[in-house]
Amino acid sequence: MAIFLQAATNGLLLGGVYGLVSAGLTLIFGVMRIVNFAHGEFLMLGMFATYWLGRASGLHPYVLLVPVGVLMFGVGLLVQRALIDRVLGRTDEAQILLTVGLSAFLQGAALFVWGADYRTIPTPLASASVAVGPVYLSVARLVAFGVAVVLAAGLYVLLVRTDLGRAMRAAAENREVALLLGIDTGRIYRLAFGIGTGLVGVAGALMAPVLATFPTVGTLFALTAFVVVVLGGMGDIVGAMIGGMIIGVTEALIATYVALDLAPLATFLIFLLILLVRPQGLLGKGRV
Amino acid sequence: MTPGESPPLAHPAEGLAPAGPRASRMARRRGLWAAAALAALLLVPFWLSDRYVMHLWVTFYLFAALALAWDLIGGYAGQLSLGHAAFFALGAYTPVLLLQRWGLSPIAGGVLGAALAAAVAVGIGSIVFRLRGVFFAMATIAFAEIVRALLLHFRSLTQGDNGLAIPFTGERPLDLMFRSEAPFYVIALGLVVVTLAVTARMRRSRIGYYLRAIRDDQDAAESLGVVSRDVKLAALVASAALTALGGTVYAFDIGFINPDSTASLGLSIEIAIMAIIGGVGTLAGPIVGAGMIVALTQITNAALGSRGGASTALYGLLLMVTVLLRPAGLAALWSRPTGRRGERRGAA
Repeated sequence: MAIFLQAATNGLLLGGVYGLVSAGLTLIFGVMRIVNFAHGEFLMLGMFATYWLGRASGLHPYVLLVPVGVLMFGVGLLVQRALIDRVLGRTDEAQILLTVGLSAFLQGAALFVWGADYRTIPTPLASASVAVGPVYLSVARLVAFGVAVVLAAGLYVLLVRTDLGRAMRAAAENREVALLLGIDTGRIYRLAFGIGTGLVGVAGALMAPVLATFPTVGTLFALTAFVVVVLGGMGDIVGAMIGGMIIGVTEALIATYVALDLAPLATFLIFLLILLVRPQGLLGKGRV
Repeated sequence: MTPGESPPLAHPAEGLAPAGPRASRMARRRGLWAAAALAALLLVPFWLSDRYVMHLWVTFYLFAALALAWDLIGGYAGQLSLGHAAFFALGAYTPVLLLQRWGLSPIAGGVLGAALAAAVAVGIGSIVFRLRGVFFAMATIAFAEIVRALLLHFRSLTQGDNGLAIPFTGERPLDLMFRSEAPFYVIALGLVVVTLAVTARMRRSRIGYYLRAIRDDQDAAESLGVVSRDVKLAALVASAALTALGGTVYAFDIGFINPDSTASLGLSIEIAIMAIIGGVGTLAGPIVGAGMIVALTQITNAALGSRGGASTALYGLLLMVTVLLRPAGLAALWSRPTGRRGERRGAA
């Protein structure tokens, strides 16, 4: 039982970060109907930014959450403006290929500039843990989970309660009508892409003390995020968080009880199943 | 159906050869040129003594064949598969395992690998072809990742991460073991010829027209009586079998396979990119694309040293430029008119 609880808790904590990564992806999809295949590379960039800013300034990774988030928000604005905007309204294939190209570019460039080494940020946090009953919680993972949940909740409130959020939902619902209502959809798209990218950048900063940083670190996160987004319903923030935790726990249990390397297999089988049986996601209609 | 017959669903842009005696004269002349070109290419190994350069040619032919095979489903049918590495891996692992366990000649093993890939294609195709657009692409990625996870997991069979080495045990042609690189030159060139022949035949066949009709508008094609699922399955089966043969050639040319080199998302993407950059739905496009990527990799490696990444970054850049600038003549895949945003298709 202790083993089960430990595995489930670890899965839940990592699942929160999956949820945050997926929230960014699903926000972008919900508002502009773009599946960003370079999303994992933004996570990788967030991790590298944390690593290098930390080396340069000596600041703790958690202090860097804000600057890294802002930096990645800016990167998102730029990418939307320079690239994504040009394929809006074109075929799915054009959109997929553009972001696949961006993903290959960023991954290759990171490998070329920074090399393939695994870099770790030495903090006492990495090994610190607290005992709750029979379960040991890693402090760094606990913090990552907490920040992820708070940010996702913040995004939800932004979408539901603020004018900007209402404008985003309107643009998601119907671009032409939103334009007629005086909503600057170009600005909305830039903000949505910027926020989605900023969130995944923060997720990278949260993971930097936990995982090694290397050029292909984003791939598995991105693939997992696709699964989570489809599971939670495309464009659904709450669904992304719940889906992230479901996948996190499932992976941890499979890794513990079946085999470590079959955890991704289970994730992708769930994915194919969901796509076929319930493409609108477990939780029903999108609710961006 | 013969080339002269009028196709049920001709695509106006595909440029059918004009019928009559002039057409057959043109076809004969084209056949002569092709034979001459092939003969010239077959002479290359005689004046190439450098093993490394010869290996580059093999790599070029291999990627050209893979890109052509991908084009059958990715280009002609417009189904953007990002999971073709899975078929490649089946074609690589099957003959290596059969040779190591039972001493079966990889010539037979390669055929069995292709048959296995075709069978898997039928299974996976009947699942993923219910999906469209981005969901289809994601499902093909998931399929390839499942194959990769299985290869990593069953270590007793595949050695997992460590991969399988094919030790050289002397010149044994039946086991595809050669001291020289020249035989692989001929084998890889042969694979390109076979793939080209399959593609050319498919283009002129009923299925070829059906595929292009599906690519242009699946619903319209269905309403005209095309059973899109069966047609796409036929294309995927051919594509998978040819891709698997590529895996066999790769395995025995290199002498080492592992899940990362044969079943990775990176390989799936690379195959697709070559066809797309060169121009999908044409005979020359995938070959040109493969040549460009192989040359680009060589040039960047020579210019920037062995440090990895530069060539990947460049082909990513090249893909973005291709998509954004949409040069005329390239890729029907994204030049077809799109519906308005709200009307675009999501899941089936």
